[in-house]
Order: sequence, then structure tokens, then C-alpha cells
Amino acid sequence: MSTEIKNIVDNIIQEKGKSVEMVIPILQAIQENFNYLPEEALQRVCDTTDITPSKIYGISTFYSQFRHKPVGEHIIKVCVGTACHVKGAMLVYDAFKRELEIEDFDDTDKDGLFTVEKIACLGCCTLAPVVQIDETTYGHVTTEKVGEVIQDFIENKDKPKSEQKSSLAVDEKTQGEIRIGLGSCCIASGSQDIKEELEDTLSRNHIHVDVKQVGCVGVCNQVPMLEIHKPDEVTSFYTKINAEEVRGIVLNHFQPTSFIDRFKSRFNNFVDSFVFENIPKLTKKYAEDEINTPISEFLEGQINIATEYRGELKPFDLEEYKKLDGFKALDKCLKNMTPQEVVDEIEESGLKGRGGGGFLTGQKWRLVKDNKSDKKYVICNGDEGDPGAFMDRMLLESYPFRIIEGLIIAGYAVGASEGILYIRAEYPLAVKRIREGIEICQREGMLGNNILGTGFSFNLKIFEGAGAFVCGEETALYKSIEGNRGYPILRPPYPSEKGLWDKPTLINNTETFSLVPWIIRNGSKAFNSTGTEDSKGTKVFALAGKINRGGLIEVPMGITIRQIVENIGGGIANNKKFKAVQIGGPSGGCIPESMADIPIDFASLTEVGAMMGSGGLIVLDETDCMVDIAHYFLSFTQDQSCGRCTFCRIGTRRMLEILEKITSGQGKMEDIGTLEKLAEQTQKGSICNLGRTAPNPVTTTLKYFRHEYEAHIKGTCPTGKCKEIIRYEITEDCIGCTKCAQRCPSDAIPVKPYEVHEIEQEKCIKCDVCREVCPVDAVITK
Amino acid sequence: MIELKINSQPVKVKEGTTVLKAAESLGIEIPTMCYLKDEFENHPSCMVCLVKNKNNGELFPSCAMPAREGMDIICDDEEVIEARKEGLELLLSDHVGDCEAPCRLSCPAFMDIPEMNRLIANNKFDEALQLVKEDIALPLILGYICPAPCEGACRRKQVDNPVSICLLKRFVADVDINKDSVYLPEKKPQTNKNVAVIGSGPAGLAAAYYILKSGQNCVIFDKKEKAGGSLLSVPENELPAKALESEIEIIKKFGAKFELNTNINPEIFENTLKKDFDAIIIATGNPEENFNFDLKTIDSSYSTNMNGVFACGSVLRHHKMAIRALAQGKEAAFSVNLFLEGKGPGKANRLFNSRFGKLTESEIEEYKKEAIFDNRIEPVKGKLSGFNKEEAVKEAQRCLRCDCRKPTSCKLRVYADQYGANQKKYSFGERKQLKKYMHHNDVVFEQEKCIRCGLCIEIASGEKELTGLTYIGRGFNVKIDIPFNKQLKEALTIASQKCVEACPTGALAFKNGE
Repeated sequence: MSTEIKNIVDNIIQEKGKSVEMVIPILQAIQENFNYLPEEALQRVCDTTDITPSKIYGISTFYSQFRHKPVGEHIIKVCVGTACHVKGAMLVYDAFKRELEIEDFDDTDKDGLFTVEKIACLGCCTLAPVVQIDETTYGHVTTEKVGEVIQDFIENKDKPKSEQKSSLAVDEKTQGEIRIGLGSCCIASGSQDIKEELEDTLSRNHIHVDVKQVGCVGVCNQVPMLEIHKPDEVTSFYTKINAEEVRGIVLNHFQPTSFIDRFKSRFNNFVDSFVFENIPKLTKKYAEDEINTPISEFLEGQINIATEYRGELKPFDLEEYKKLDGFKALDKCLKNMTPQEVVDEIEESGLKGRGGGGFLTGQKWRLVKDNKSDKKYVICNGDEGDPGAFMDRMLLESYPFRIIEGLIIAGYAVGASEGILYIRAEYPLAVKRIREGIEICQREGMLGNNILGTGFSFNLKIFEGAGAFVCGEETALYKSIEGNRGYPILRPPYPSEKGLWDKPTLINNTETFSLVPWIIRNGSKAFNSTGTEDSKGTKVFALAGKINRGGLIEVPMGITIRQIVENIGGGIANNKKFKAVQIGGPSGGCIPESMADIPIDFASLTEVGAMMGSGGLIVLDETDCMVDIAHYFLSFTQDQSCGRCTFCRIGTRRMLEILEKITSGQGKMEDIGTLEKLAEQTQKGSICNLGRTAPNPVTTTLKYFRHEYEAHIKGTCPTGKCKEIIRYEITEDCIGCTKCAQRCPSDAIPVKPYEVHEIEQEKCIKCDVCREVCPVDAVITK
Repeated sequence: MIELKINSQPVKVKEGTTVLKAAESLGIEIPTMCYLKDEFENHPSCMVCLVKNKNNGELFPSCAMPAREGMDIICDDEEVIEARKEGLELLLSDHVGDCEAPCRLSCPAFMDIPEMNRLIANNKFDEALQLVKEDIALPLILGYICPAPCEGACRRKQVDNPVSICLLKRFVADVDINKDSVYLPEKKPQTNKNVAVIGSGPAGLAAAYYILKSGQNCVIFDKKEKAGGSLLSVPENELPAKALESEIEIIKKFGAKFELNTNINPEIFENTLKKDFDAIIIATGNPEENFNFDLKTIDSSYSTNMNGVFACGSVLRHHKMAIRALAQGKEAAFSVNLFLEGKGPGKANRLFNSRFGKLTESEIEEYKKEAIFDNRIEPVKGKLSGFNKEEAVKEAQRCLRCDCRKPTSCKLRVYADQYGANQKKYSFGERKQLKKYMHHNDVVFEQEKCIRCGLCIEIASGEKELTGLTYIGRGFNVKIDIPFNKQLKEALTIASQKCVEACPTGALAFKNGE
């Protein structure tokens, strides 16, 4: 064994400890060091800890985060979340592999420079298709841009990241405030560059403005965005800006403080406008009170409870959080309410768990509270793994204190002394913010012993998930914390009786906890006056797909799907027709446009065969193939099945195989019957809700779009999506620009300048590049 | 105490009792595979123990569900049975294993060929012969003339040439015949019932053999002066007359009376045979004679339109294969025996059979682990003389051991049979590639026969195996394997017996079988 590996592993064990439940953190640390799990390292772990070979292999092969083979120097993660999928992510994935000349069975290029992998969801759905190379995120990556993206990455990878400047201190003589969103979407769209440019501009021009980094603004469709707040001015929003435009915007609103600066800035402005003359100005400016702008329409009709003070709150500024009523609820609970009163308040609010199941939160709290035990736990489920959902990520990143406060209140109410935030490892920013939040709270006496001098003690820690969607299921989640494979167990016993380490455990979703402080502060009546008979309050959705304005929204329960799509989302993009929404992620279903007037609440969604899920809302247009959508979701759940019970492990696979038969034109009419039968059995016979709900995307599309299945069986994909039964053709509209011929990776289009081009079908690999590059939309699929 | 109802019967159990155990206390049997008595709780994976709670209509695995007050459990309605069956069918669609070897399945007499091969390979020729005679009454004769469909199905054909099954069978018969006292199986207690067999061809002789074995008396009628029927017309260079005579001699020795030169006309049939015999088997080998006996219909249990009259062999239609006629003789005898016991007529039940089709290239390599590499052995003295001892042993060692090592204790097979599961229903995906882990003194592990219940992993871990077994991967591709790519003998040192016994399928088995 190499001494290097030995030393590193020994140090890790020194830090993490030798007990079995540390297996996941230990493996994560090893992988962080080596980029994969060297066998020698695993052997060393087994030799020096209580972790057995059986354990370490069982765990390291269950969670998809772990790799057993070395990877390329850089990792290209192609997001194949729902929003990306409907915008062609699989074609992008294929294009990367093609561009890097990676064989089908392999994932790393010959030089070991790049490894290409698919990732369930990066949570930047509004920038779809999204690709992340190491730390850099690229949005709107289409097949024809793949080469450029790789080139750009190679050119920039060795440039040092400019150091973070701390010009953010508050100044007495401030001229105003500039807010910049620093959620994952914003950063992915370039807000970090904007921030650097902004700080540079301000310091060079000696402008005294507060620059405030706020959490997710929610208007993810318009990012990067700057908000300019001035004492006597209406707030201005600048959307979709790029770094080059920052200087102009700033100088438009704020005057440099000395004459020389002013002069210099003018001069620079002049040079800038000269240099950047040819850059198309996509940036649009909107005033806050201007009506009928994308910003105002997007924000209208939303209610901010989980996202209270959205766009105002700096994620890690405790003082500000406190100023804006933060920790008042905790104070109220600890000083003026008994645990029973807290539970009563939550119960009366009618709050239902926001993780998807919709169980009454107050009732859950009561069960945990009433179970006598020497030790109890509270767990925040932030293992958001649905493709097409990023609510938890945004809440954790933007409102860490609110979630921590919700957890402490829950701990007090149920009598728990320890809380755990289970956050998926794909959300590094969320982990970082929460970690900072916990440290600050510990320092300030909000966590630890004798909180706020009331004698109540509560500790919080983070558990980083390792990549398993099934761990969002509460029993699998706590099994995972115990250092096991994420196998759900049959309930009862419910975690409220016997959960983590066999102790009564309260497990709620992130959003649920984030609503708690508001309910306590404003009272249950204020909360349940919003919503419907069945479902109270608000729901946060990740709105994405074929929509004009996607983003994170918080809407009152009872709002209709159409209101969301048309009013908040601004209708379907590119003048296409609204076809359906996919709601609730892989456990949910597709609701056709004809039923878009149903109000959104737990009961009515379940009634139509869908599910609230955790809140992914993907809008589909007429170009989306519903069989493909069903196939997409089922391939996700099939891949994420833990593999324990028969119906989920094999049933979902067989269903997927039937769908593959159908989408490739090999299906027979009787396959639909087999599919339905299997769907029914899998719903009935699976142990946990992953299996029980996995067939939903299939059953709803069969219910509302059966004719599309039948069309595939007859040999056509009505929307031209299913690769194996479509062909690409060039119409008479072709202007002979040769772009398609030049870009075709398989030389299937002979170059014929100024003539109508043709595709040689036997060479065509259906990569979609020609259609992407055609300036006159002359490439069609049939 | 908790009170609940199972199949409408009220029952009281202690708190914490599972529904499965509550049902057991009422004598209601629920199938289980992944569940190991008392040792592991809340461990459901196979889903064959599904039951329904009538109160909410939900199905759940009874092995892990604690009984709760007021439950109203149904264990055997259509929905439950259907769900269990579907579960079994899904498991079978992912079960890469044969219960019986292809050779045996293609043998009309369903002779246990692989077991015969193993006995020969281990120099146990007498036992081999006894086994053969369970299904083939005339192994010496068939050893000469059988067209051996079994060899056509033999998997060894994919490696080089099929095992010489037919010659091996003749070899053991030859060994027997050359002994001072030939093998005669033990008969069941005498019943004093009389059975007439008309025709002394392969069907008639075989029928007589199994009739006698069951303790009945048997008289064989034939219009010719010599017994043997169609076998008499086989040329000497294919079937030596001596071989035919010596095996007919055995039937005689076993107690059959031969009434040769006796033509059974309709009158004798009606007035003598029907009166003097409790049952009659027509095995004349000639469909044209049927009108003599007013024979109109024959069903799958070989019984005819006449009560107590059975028919088999080429009397149905002309068969080219003697082995088929012989197999029918055996089956007709089975039906007659049932009839005489007052339970028949009937058919021998064949258990469910899992089959996975052709071996792939990589699988051929796995199967070769079980056999010697030499190509098919040709007898030095020529085919008509057959194998000598050394040749036979070596040839038998070429057998790839395609049959399952746990054909009777495999629960998957038992329940598949019981629930009438159809393996092909969901077998449309690409099947997995099987592997055989042979590096162990006593145990063989075939991971694609596994249902992923994980009992072996838990047992090995409970027994503190240093290496043990582990899950690799998750979802559909999860499999049981050995950590650090070690060998099976390192994985299972002290826990092997417990693991094999707990394994509900043939995935983990003793090398020597059950």
C-alpha cells in the first residue's frame, strides 16, 4: 500500500472516527482526495475501523456519488433533469461524447482530460440545457455549442479566480443599494462575474453604494439581474445583463464622488461603447412599479411565506435576519409557549408536509411529541432529488437561518435535543450556507446548550447525502444516516415511533420547516386563511420547461395551473401551444391543458392521477412527446430504485422495456395492456412510495394521451421526438448556406452551396445539430 | 394482546407479532422466500407473502407487518393470488437458470440425464442404472436405437460436441446385464389386481415394467411368436438380437407373463379380457387395429372411451422414435396405477421449469468450469461395442452440469409451480449474463439465480465472516458479490452451510446438490 494513500486515509479516520455509521462521510472524504475510491484506500478503512468489506462495498456501490475508477482531470456533468431533458439534454450528452471521441461504453476521453457523466438535476432548470464542467456552469448549451463550451473551458481553466473583495461593508454616506442574486442559477448564469465587475467599477469610481448579495430572487428566467435601490428613485431591475454592461448601468444611476473619477468614467464609457458597439444588447431594464413587465407579472399573484423577504435578505447576515423578524418565532416559542401550544398552533394552521405525501405536519409533531423516549431527533429532509425541482436548494441557499429556526422550534415542540439537516451532496452551496448558518447560530447562542437562556438545548449538524433519490423517502433517509444502504423499510413502525437509531424521529421537508417561523409569528389563522379547504397556505414550485418566464415561485394553494402558466409564467415560449404540465416529478403525472383549470392542492392533484410531489412544475408544449416524457421519468425512477422489492426492482425495468419497444416503433397494441397491468401491480405491490408512485407518469400519459402511444405503435412519433422512428429532412426552404453540411458530425449532408441540401439517411445519426444551426428552420423531423 | 381477523377467522396475538406468524398460528400457510424464521424482521423483498388488509384495500408483505388491532386480513383472494403470481413472474423474468437441464427436458422419458452422468463420472454405475430405470425400462435397447434428442439439446454442443448420453446409458445397462443378478427394482406391495397389456413393443414392455413395479400382476399379449413388436424388425447391426432378448428376459424375470401367438379379436377383448382384467392397456403399435376394440377417443391420461381401457404408443399414431413409445408406456402405466388405486386416471405432474435459452460466449466459459475439456470420446472398439469403463467415466465428466443443484428445495420453483407462473410473460429484456463462482470446496454461487433477498449477506455478517458477501450496485442491476474481488472460499468460511440452507433459490448451493 502506498504510504500516501495510507496517510491520507488515516488522517480521514482520525477526523471522522472509526464507527460504522461514519462510512459515508469517510468515503466522501476519500473521494474528495483522490477523485475516486482507490481499492487500497477502502482496504485501509476496513483494516483500521469497524467498517467491514461487505459494508464498504455495499455503501460505495449504492450511492451514485461514489466512483471506483479514476476519472478524467475534469468532469463534465450534463444535467438531464426534466427541464433539460425536454430541451434536448440527451443530444447534448451524445454531442459531448462525440466531440471528445469517447466510446459508447466509456465515459472518459483518451487523454484522460474529461469525463462525461449525466447528472439527475443541477437545479438550474431555467437555464436548460445546463452543463457543469468542474465548478463552471454553462447554460443554454445546445448540441452545436458543445465544441465552443469545451474550448472556452480549456482556455479559461488555468486563469486564477480573482480574489473575493470585501468592498461590501456598509458605508454611512451610502448613495443607495445594489442587489445581486447569488443563488445557484444566478451564479451559473454569470452573476459572480457581474459581482466582480460591479465591485471593480465601484471601487475605481469611488462610488459609495451598498452591494448586497441576496439569495435566490426567484426570477431565474431573467438572471443575471441587478436591482438598483436609491432613496428617491423607483427601484430598477436590470435583467439578463452581462459583465460588460455593468459599468454603464452603475454610472447611469450613481455619480462618481470626485471630478477626476467622473471624467475617467466618461472616458471609459466612451471606449466601452466603441469596443462593444457590436454586441447585441439583450439586457432589458424595468422599473418596479411598471406594470405589464415580465418582472411585475412574474411576481404578481405570488405570496412569500417560505420565501419571505425574497430578494432583500442576505443569506448569511444574522443581524439582518433578526431585523426582519428572524428568530422572533423561536423567542416566542421558548419564552411564551409550551411545546404543546407550539404543536397545537402548527396543527391548527392545517400545514401539510411539503415533501409530497401531504401528511398533516401538526399531527406528525404530536406523534413524535407523545412518544416517550430518552432521546429524539428532528431531521430536515433536503435530499431533493427530483429532476426538475430546486425548491429545497433555493430555500437552503437563501434562507438558512429560517430553516434552522424552524428546526429548533420543531425540536422544542417534540422534545428533541438533536437535529440533522440531510442535504444532497450535489448542492455544495446549500451545504456551505447552512454550515455557516449553524456556526453563526452556535456563536450567537441560538444553538447549543441553554438557548436564549431558556434552558432548552438543541444541536444541529449536517449530513451530506451521497446521491440516491430514494433517500428522500423518510425511512431510507434515516437508514442512510445510520450508515446503511438507502433501503426503505416497511412502515409501520413509522419514524415517529421508531426512527433514527430506533428513537422517535421527526422528519419534515425543507419547505415545511421554512414555513414554521412565519406561522408561529403570524398565527395559524393567518396561514390557513390562504389556500383551499384541503390544503392551506402556499406552495413553492420550480417552474420550468417550455415557458416564457421560469423560476422559483411561491403561490397560494388553490391557484390554477393555467394561472401559473399564463400569468406568472407568461405563457408558452416561441408561440407554441400549451400541451400539458408535468407536476410532482417522477412520482407525479402529466395533466393535459384541457384540465389546466383545476386548482392546485393535494387532493385535486391526486384525484387526476398526479401528485403534489415536492413541487417540480414542468410545462410542456406541442412539440413534446408524451411517451418520451413517460419514458424519461420511468427511466429515472427505474435507475433510482433501491432494488430491494421485486415490483420496483424488476417491474419498473420491464415497464421501461415496454416503453422502449414502443418508442422505437417495435411495440404492439397488446403491449399497452401489459404496461397497464404491470403499472397497477407495481403501484400495489411495492414497499415504499418510490415504487408505489413510479408508474404515475405512465398511467397519466396513458390516461390522457393514449393516442400518442398508439401512434408510436403504428410507426410514427407525432412530435418527431423519438429518435429511432424519426428521420431528418431538409425542406425546399433551404437557402443553401451550407452551415448544416459543415457542422454535420457524420458527413451525412453533402456541401452544395446555394442549393437545397439533402440528408443521406444511412449516415445520419440524428444528433439534431443540423436543425439547431439552420438559420431558416428548413431542417425538419418526420 | 391484539385482536385481528385473518381470512375472517378471529385471532389474538401478542403485540409485535407479524401478520405472517399470526396466520401461521391459525394454520394458514403463506408462502415466503426472503423471510428467515425469527432471525430477521422487516426484511421484505420478494413480495411473495403479500396479503391484503380489507380495511383499506392495501397489499403488504405479511412477513414484516406487525399485526395491529382490528386488521381484517385476506390471504387468498384473487387479487392477492394474482399479485403473488405477478411477483413470481417478474422474479422469473430475471432468473438466469435452468431447473432441469435441456437434455432432460428434451428426453421424451424425462430421464435424469445429468444425474446419470454424475454417477457414471463417480464410478457409481449401479446407481446410475437404477436411476435410468426410473424412467427408461429398456436402457440397453434404447442405448442402441435411440435417436437421442437429448444430445441434440445438450449445451456441450456449444463448446464442442454433445455428451454421448445414449452410449453412456447403454454402458450402464451393459454393465448390469453382464452381472450374475440383474437389477430388479423393489416392487410396491402386491395388490392382486390384474392388468392386460396388448402388444409387446417398446410401449407395451415399458408399461408392463411400471405396472409390475406398482405391485399389480401383468400379462402381455402379442399375436407374434416373439415378443418385441417393432423392435424385432431393427437390423442386427443396429440392435443385436441378444440385447433385445436379454432385456425382455428382465421384464419376464420381474414377473410379466407373456401370452404370445395370441390374437386379441373383439370377442376375446370383450368377453375375456374385460372380464378377467382390472385394466387393459392397448399398445399394439398399429392404429388400424383400433376398430377391433371399438377404440374412439384417447385423452392425455391415456384413458379411452371405455372404462378401464387405456391406450398408448403407436396405437395413437405411428411414431418413429421408440423412446417416445416407451415414454408413453410408462405414463400409461402411471395412469393405470392411479386408476387401480381409485384415484385415476391421471397424468404425472411435471414441476415448473425455468429455462433461459442459449448460452452466450462468456457463459460457455462459465459452464466449462464444471467439466473437463476433452472433446467427445469415440469408443475404441467402435460404436456398436460401446464404451469401456474408462471411456465412460471420462465422457460423463464432459457434462456441463446444466441442471440446478436445488431442484426440489428451490422455493422459487415450488411457488412458480404452485401459482402457475409464466416465466416468459415478462422476459422481453436483454437477459443478464450468468456466472459460476466455483472457487470453494463445498459451495457454488450462481448470482443470476439470486432473488436479491440478501439473507446470505446478513448471515455471513452475523457469523463474523471477515470478507463475507455484499450488495454491489442498486436497482435492477444490484447483485450479490464478494468484496475486493476475492474468491468464494474467502467469502464464506464458516457461514457457508447456513447461507446455502437459507438461500431460497439455487443461487447458493452445495457442490454435491441437495
